[in-house]
Parts: sequence; C-alpha cells; structure tokens
Amino acid sequence: MMPLENGPAPIIQARALSKWYGQVIGLNNFALRVLPGITGIVGPNGSGKSTFFKLVLGLIKPNSGTVTVLGKNPWKNSDLHSKIGFCPDYESLPLDSTGREYLTLIGRLHMMPSSALSKRIEEVIRLVEMSKAADRKTGGYSKGMKQRIKIAGALLHDPELLILDEPLSGTDPLVRKDLIDLIKRLNKEHGHDVIVSSHVLFEIERMTHNVALVYRGRAVAAGDISEIRNLIDRHPHNIIIEGEGTIALAKVLLDQDYVVSVAFNGDKSSMTVQVSKPDDFFNGLPALIEKTQCSVNKMYSLDDNLEAVFKYIVGW
Amino acid sequence: MNLKSVLAGIYALTYHSTKKLILGRKAVITLLVAIFVGAVMGYAGSMSDDPLDDGTNLMDTLILFFFMPVMAMIFGSSLMRDEIDDKSITHVATAPLDRAFSYVGYYLPLGIAVSVWMVVITSVGMLAFFGQHGGIGPQSLEIYAQFVSLVVIGSFVYSSLFLAISVLFPKPVLVGLFYAFIWEAGIASLPGAIQNASIKHYLRSVASGWLDFGDISTWSHASSVGGSAALLLGLTVFLLLLGAYVFREKELA
Repeated sequence: MMPLENGPAPIIQARALSKWYGQVIGLNNFALRVLPGITGIVGPNGSGKSTFFKLVLGLIKPNSGTVTVLGKNPWKNSDLHSKIGFCPDYESLPLDSTGREYLTLIGRLHMMPSSALSKRIEEVIRLVEMSKAADRKTGGYSKGMKQRIKIAGALLHDPELLILDEPLSGTDPLVRKDLIDLIKRLNKEHGHDVIVSSHVLFEIERMTHNVALVYRGRAVAAGDISEIRNLIDRHPHNIIIEGEGTIALAKVLLDQDYVVSVAFNGDKSSMTVQVSKPDDFFNGLPALIEKTQCSVNKMYSLDDNLEAVFKYIVGW
Repeated sequence: MNLKSVLAGIYALTYHSTKKLILGRKAVITLLVAIFVGAVMGYAGSMSDDPLDDGTNLMDTLILFFFMPVMAMIFGSSLMRDEIDDKSITHVATAPLDRAFSYVGYYLPLGIAVSVWMVVITSVGMLAFFGQHGGIGPQSLEIYAQFVSLVVIGSFVYSSLFLAISVLFPKPVLVGLFYAFIWEAGIASLPGAIQNASIKHYLRSVASGWLDFGDISTWSHASSVGGSAALLLGLTVFLLLLGAYVFREKELA
C-alpha cells in the first residue's frame, strides 16, 4: 500500500470517496491505494473502517467518489464476490446451524461442486483449527470460535482478497496470537492478499508493516508503520506531572529544547507539559527532578490512546 | 455467471431457508394454529347436520379468510427483514449471486414453507371435521383437494406480497398487520369496485368457481375464475420483480 500512484497495480483504489448516512458522515473524501500483501486499516471505533469495507464489498454505494476492487466497481457486481472473502466484525452466523452447515451454505452460494466442497471444508476447518467443534451449533461457540469459523467461511472459496473486519475483537490473548499467526500464514503460505482492520495499532504491527490510519472518515496516513511512527513522533505529546515543588521543575523544563510549553492545572500541584520529542523528555526528566529537588507523585501521558495519536496527525 | 451457477445458488438458499422455516421456532406457532383449527372444526363437525356445506363454510372462514394471510405474514414479513436487521444476510449479499436471484432464493422457501404448514393446518381441520361424520368420503375428499390447492396458490401469492413488504418497509410486521387485518377485512364492506382490491377476493373467487358446497359456491361478488387466476399470477410476478429490484438496489448498511 502506497499513498502515491506508482509500483504494482493496487488491489483496492479509493478516490475522493464519501459516504454519509443522513446527517452522519461515514467517509469523507477518502483516498487510499491498497497494494498486494497484508494491509492493516487502523482507526478508532466509528472512524469509517467498516463503512470502507462495505463500500469495497458493494454492500452500500458511495455518495460521491469512486472505489475499485481488483480493477472493478463493486456496486451491483456480484461476480466480484467470487474473488473476495469477507469476515465481518459483527455476529453474522446462523445460530441454529452447525459450523459445517454454515460452511456448506457458503460453499453452495459460491457454486462449489459438492465433492470439491466437502474436501475444501475439511481443509479450512483444519486451517482454522476447528475440527473438534465443526459439528456443534454455532450458537454455542465462544467468541474466538465464531471468529475462526467466520474466517473459514471467508477462506472457503479460496479468494484472491481476504477482508477481515476487526477479527481480533473480543478474543482473549491466546486466541489473538493464534489468529495473528493464522493471518500471517494466509498471506505467506497461501498467497491471499489480506486487508485487516483493528483499532489497536500494535496488533496490526504484529501482522504487517503496511498500515493505513483512518480517522473521522478520512485516510489520514498510509505507508510503512515506521514512517507513521515518525510522523506521530514529530507532533507534541501532552504529559501530566503531579507532585510537590513542580514550579521549579517547570522553570527548568522550559529551558529544554524538546519542551514546547508548560501549563499548570488548577492548584499548581499538577502541570501539563507539551513535548516535541517524548524520548528525550523521558530520558532527561530524572536528572531535572534531581536538580530541582521536586517530588513527582504521578506522571502519565494524555496521548496513550489511539484517538490522541490521530488528533496529532490531523492537527485537530 | 451462467444459468447452472444461478440455479445452484438459488437451490442452496432455498434448501437452507426451507429447513430454517419449517424446523425453526415459528413451527410452534403453526402447531398451535393447527391445534386450534382442529379443535374448532372438530367441535363444529360434531354439531353439524350438513357436513359438506358447513365444512366448506368453516374452511372458507378459518383458512382462506383468516389464517392464510396471517400465516404468510408471520413467516414472510420476518424472513429477510430479520436477516437484514441482524446482518446475517451478509453471507448472501457477499456471494457471487446477483441479489435479484438471491431474492428468488428467499421467495421459494417461503412459499414452500407456508404451503407445507397451511396444508398441515387444512388437513388437521378437515380430518377433525369430517372425522365426526364417518371419515372423508369422495365428496369431502374433493373439497379437501380443492382447499389444499387453494392454500398452495394462496401461499405463493401472499408470500410474494409479504416478502416484498419486508424489503420495502423497515417495519414490515406493522404493514403486514395493517394489510391482513384492516385492509383485507375491511375492504370487502366498502361499496364499488374497491372491494375487489385484495388477494383474498380473487382467491375466494377461484374457490367460488371450484367448490360446489357452502356459501362460497354461490358468492355473488365473485370474479371469473380465469380472470382471478390470471390476476393472482400477474400480481405474484409483479411483486416478485418489484421485491427483487428493491433488494438489488438496497444498501445493506
């Protein structure tokens, strides 16, 4: 995935894509090129990730702009679905069916011949490690099992492109690790191009270096994750320091070139320090505390959440 | 997409949804209706001195007039709407089958399931009624066969209506209730040609031409059998095309 129009042909290309639901904006002038491989779409809840996927799948149509998937417009293009596998972030399994019955329905809807279908169902069930539970009703599955069987459904017809919307959400750490390994294998060993979304940046980092950051309906950054991290680091971070004698600390902090501003909060026992280079700040702080003989009781960053990271990037 | 692939997709949906409708939780409603119809007709049968006319009148009132549209509404207005609302329709909407054909894949199982259940209810009612008169003879068997044919036709016509309503309106049950209980029940009492503006009118018109017993056989407002059958067929095709078009254009947010 690259922000510029060069290199290999994109599997997805969105240009000036906008979608709104009444007064609510889902996507706003969204532009993105997704290249083959694993691509992570990262953004907070409600940022527009699922809306983007729905447009890619042709479930909804854009109000303006265009999107092409494997070179084709997805709206009312059911043939394209034979090349795409989709694992939604919501509960979409028929709860009164077993995992195997669900997969059989998916396979038949993809017009797979019966003999090939049975064999393929066994393969994908093994791949997602659901052999023991495949004949149980999906209504009794755990969250992790549901995610696995949904991924199996997305994989069943051996699509070129896999779209996994928040596949790790609601799963425990062990299942997360398994799913992350599975997603990596699907690309590396089975050759599927994978687009995977999450609102947790570090989860995506474990799967791929190609990331697009989506915020308030826009793709605010796209590229290698190290470039995005650099971009984030170029913006000031807000750090709260609480303690006694912080006025002296504030004075010396203002002399540091990595400190942008210092502001006291209420009773002067708490201050907000805005820093341009967080690493330099955290490395230099112990010496400054010692020098000013102040007592720091508590220190935390306001910017440890993804929302803050996006605010930095878009300048809001 | 070739014809074989389309038929395979429609078959897959039909098989899955028929199983779901016939063996699902709504089967309990059908069994309760069957028990109710059986009890009412069994009691009426024990009181009747003129079983062929009384049996026909009861079947007309209970089955054609009341339970036929109600059962189609119960199954039809929720089949697709529930899947759209809980998003379980995603696996259909992301399959390589044009949505217009997917719609047919919902219509067929709906028509089949409503037919199956209505035939069961009709059979229970007939057995309960004529069982009080020494079983089903040749004439009562003919009445039974005619009602079975009518409920099968009615099932497919009403299914096309309520399935179309389920993709046209966000609250199809309310629209379905209005149609089944207010429009169909009230329209017949209005003066002029508007009293013909219901599926029930044309279904009963066909019944009027077929049946030799009961008040329906001498119904003065009946339209011609051929015209009624053609109108029901035309309406079914129109509603199918309308529903398929709306579903194809529908955004599944």
